[in-house]
Amino acid sequence: MIRNYFKIAFRNLLKYKGYTFINVFGLAIGITCASLILLWIEDEVNFDQSIPDKELVFAVPTNQEYDGDIRTFFQATPGPLAEVLKTEIPEIRKSARKRDLNLLLSVGENSVSSSGSYADKDLFDIFSLQFISGTKTEAFKNQKSIVITEKTASILFNNSNEAIGKNIQLDKSESYVVTGVIKDFPKNTSFQFSWLIPFKNFTDGKEWTKGYGSNFTDTFVKLKAGADVEKVNEKVKAVLPAKTGDKDTEAILFSAKDWHLRSTFENGEIVGGRIDYVRLFSFIALIILLIACINFMNLATARSEKRASEVGMRKALGSGKKQLIFQFMTEAVLTAFFSGILSIIFLIILIPQFNALIGKDLSLGLTNPIHILPIFAITLICGLLSGVYPAFYLSSFKPIEVLKGSRKQTGNASFTRKSLVVMQFSVSIVFIICTILVYQQVQHVKNRSLGLNKENLIEIPAANGTIIQNFNAIENELKSEGLIENAGLYNSHILSAGNNTSGVQWQGKPEDQDILISYRTTTPNFFETTGMKIKEGIGFSSSQAADSTKVLVSESFAKLMNTDNVIGKKISWNESVYTISGVVNNYLYGDMYGSSDPVMFFHQAEGADYMYLKPTAGGSISEKLTAIEAVFKKENAGFPFTYRFVDEAFNESFKNEQLVEDLSQIFAVLAIIISCLGLFGLSAYMAEQRRKEIGVRKVLGSSVLGIMKLLSKDYIKLVLLAIVISIPIAWYVMNSWLQGYAYRIEINWMVFAIAGILAICIAVITVSFQAVKAAVANPIQSLRTE
Amino acid sequence: MITITDLEKYYATEEVRTIALNKLSFKVKEGEFVAVMGPSGCGKSTLLNILGLLDDPDGGSFVFNGIEVAGFNERKRADLRKHNIGFVFQSFNLIDELTVFENVELPLIYTGVKPAERKVRVDAVLEKMQIMHRRKHFPQQLSGGQQQRVAVARAVVNNPKLILADEPTGNLDSSNGNEVMDLLTELNEAGTTIIMVTHSEHDAKYSHRIIRMLDGQKVTENVLAEFKSV
Repeated sequence: MIRNYFKIAFRNLLKYKGYTFINVFGLAIGITCASLILLWIEDEVNFDQSIPDKELVFAVPTNQEYDGDIRTFFQATPGPLAEVLKTEIPEIRKSARKRDLNLLLSVGENSVSSSGSYADKDLFDIFSLQFISGTKTEAFKNQKSIVITEKTASILFNNSNEAIGKNIQLDKSESYVVTGVIKDFPKNTSFQFSWLIPFKNFTDGKEWTKGYGSNFTDTFVKLKAGADVEKVNEKVKAVLPAKTGDKDTEAILFSAKDWHLRSTFENGEIVGGRIDYVRLFSFIALIILLIACINFMNLATARSEKRASEVGMRKALGSGKKQLIFQFMTEAVLTAFFSGILSIIFLIILIPQFNALIGKDLSLGLTNPIHILPIFAITLICGLLSGVYPAFYLSSFKPIEVLKGSRKQTGNASFTRKSLVVMQFSVSIVFIICTILVYQQVQHVKNRSLGLNKENLIEIPAANGTIIQNFNAIENELKSEGLIENAGLYNSHILSAGNNTSGVQWQGKPEDQDILISYRTTTPNFFETTGMKIKEGIGFSSSQAADSTKVLVSESFAKLMNTDNVIGKKISWNESVYTISGVVNNYLYGDMYGSSDPVMFFHQAEGADYMYLKPTAGGSISEKLTAIEAVFKKENAGFPFTYRFVDEAFNESFKNEQLVEDLSQIFAVLAIIISCLGLFGLSAYMAEQRRKEIGVRKVLGSSVLGIMKLLSKDYIKLVLLAIVISIPIAWYVMNSWLQGYAYRIEINWMVFAIAGILAICIAVITVSFQAVKAAVANPIQSLRTE
Repeated sequence: MITITDLEKYYATEEVRTIALNKLSFKVKEGEFVAVMGPSGCGKSTLLNILGLLDDPDGGSFVFNGIEVAGFNERKRADLRKHNIGFVFQSFNLIDELTVFENVELPLIYTGVKPAERKVRVDAVLEKMQIMHRRKHFPQQLSGGQQQRVAVARAVVNNPKLILADEPTGNLDSSNGNEVMDLLTELNEAGTTIIMVTHSEHDAKYSHRIIRMLDGQKVTENVLAEFKSV
């Protein structure tokens, strides 16, 4: 029996090639889409899976309250916290501090610039680092020890086995002995480092790291198995207020399970993160599959006339309804199966492009049951889903009616079909609207006035080597060679937050005001370099010593002081008093969608992290960079020259939004293609069904245009209905998406109009292929076939 | 074998109710060959559908082989049908996607016959209908007469007690038509009961008895040949 079904199914698929193509191709697109998304989700969900006992591993960020607003900071715990947590809370088995930095590692002539951390030795256990050579107990016995990853070892030494016991020079100064080589981390791990050195190397000689006054390090802990996380978290929260007397700052536990997917905090609580995108894209994959299945259902029922006599005859010969349902389901599943195979081919072709788009390294891995089974399952479910309605519909035909040819298309089926088309187009239109709005929002933020000129602004890491000492020489040389107009040092990446304090006082500051202010150290020409303006007063002089009690403040800071003229006013911080000599315009940093904290600027070159250069106008930028590199090679000998453009860094900060934009574009296009395929097939069958009517009309004198109108009219109505349905949905979805951004666009009704017109145009073009074909056909031909 | 009494069937559209069968009664004995004639719309086809258990009457009684079948549900009708009744249609109604062999095999599949036996029986009936050489062809590759021979082969492969033929020669030229009528006569002589709806006086002459209908009622009955009960 099954063989008979397969035979019929095969022959049917072969016989109606166009129909088969639409079904198989449409469904294959859907399955491909869903598979890509599943691969992406698998990667997201598997993040940090490589950490053993990850349910026991926690990072310790701090929640800090400023004027009723709780903010969550990472790398912001005081020095003693790690040790205190371990000794005071029995459930905490291990604790370690970790502070990241980028250093130049050299072995002889061989150098590599890589990121690593100062760390306590418990970190080995917390992250379960696997030592290839050396042991975790011995590794940090001596202060000048360094543990490196296998990859770093293979770069610095010919053979990673030779590394142990050898010296590595850090930033061309002190030497450290390699006491351990650890296995590399998998790519999808949240915290990556190429090397570790004992934390003591950072704290030595820094008294401020010994107390609770500065939050400067990450802290990680590992709990004892079976510990009640909620209870431990309560204990952790109590530690800092007890030590400092400040109730506004508390440390919290942040589970390794949440590091990647749930890392957005609001008011001290996790509110989401990438998990939102995982959910969003899963939903979209489902929708795309659904509209692909709709094609199948629609075409199968629309061309039921062709199958009707078969159904009738089978029934007359004694087939029961169940057997027919089973037969049609078999056919649908077989079609889906072909789609599945086609989609695997698509996947092989598309995965590299998809990887490039989302910046991941996904692979199809068909031998992996976790990959092949879901594809199989999706295929099967699609087959069953798209087969079920046609199967019930076709098998319910009354044999006498179809065998005598007296059966008319029932109103029910055509209503269902129309509803499904409306559904497909509604989805497509929602996608179109969302795509436009996401694009508008991203552009809106990208075009936001930052208060500085990011175009062509070059950023060079300045913390390593002799850049800061030689800053004046570098600046002068670059200027005299005509390469740059200005240069400046800065203790932060210009667009990033961090380096802030709530300890600034001034006369008239309300007692209860607790506000976070960023502090920046810089050099005099920084403002001209970056295009920031001194709005009032004057900037820094050329002498750092002469400026030691001067401070510049941002406009928002000046406003905070609530006085007519802030120039000459005094502020105090860290037991020093500074005089305000100028006011700088507000500029945007940190959250690109929000507003930035007030800033105070000090004249100080030391401690700078970045150097900014404004190249001279005209000429080739790459030639200039080569010349700039030569100067840096001379003034910062032995260190590699790296740079990036601030506008590129700026664009990169929209990675998530860009991903949503790119993917929503792709999904919109795919949804439209699948819907159009369906509409194309449907209109072909409708035109065929009305051949006789069209023939009669033409004989009676109807024009080609008249026939086209006749055939298109019905579909236009459906699309109009889809527009009406989709607009409120799209508005609701996008309005709630935009609520997440403080700086956002207003939704303009024009977007809906454009999407609607686009949908109508697409539908008209699709349908008119068939309409034209039917309208220009010779009427005699169509009448004779009856 | 068949006794119908006061059989009624209506077709209702939104505005009009058409009476297709109006208290129709007659009997058909086992082994008889009966022709049903009448103008278009007299209810012949409706009658055939009810006799073939494809449709359910709205009133009256239909006793098939001693069982009252009026009011049977679809599943019960299908079960009775596949074991007892073969159909031959004017438009052949072969399944285009199946070969001659597969078309004829279909009823055996539905009655659950084993593959090996199916092959033997299908080959035998194809031999008998003289279309063995066409067994691997698809219906479109055959002439009308050949297609109807396949349809007859399919109707008889299950050895039904009753064959219902709906204008079996309607789409055929006279020589092909005669061939099909000869086939039906042979089957009847071998013991199969046949009820045939036809417009053709010529075809009707092959039968034992002609029932003439008008407006859903029997008007006359002509006995053409002496029929002895088997």
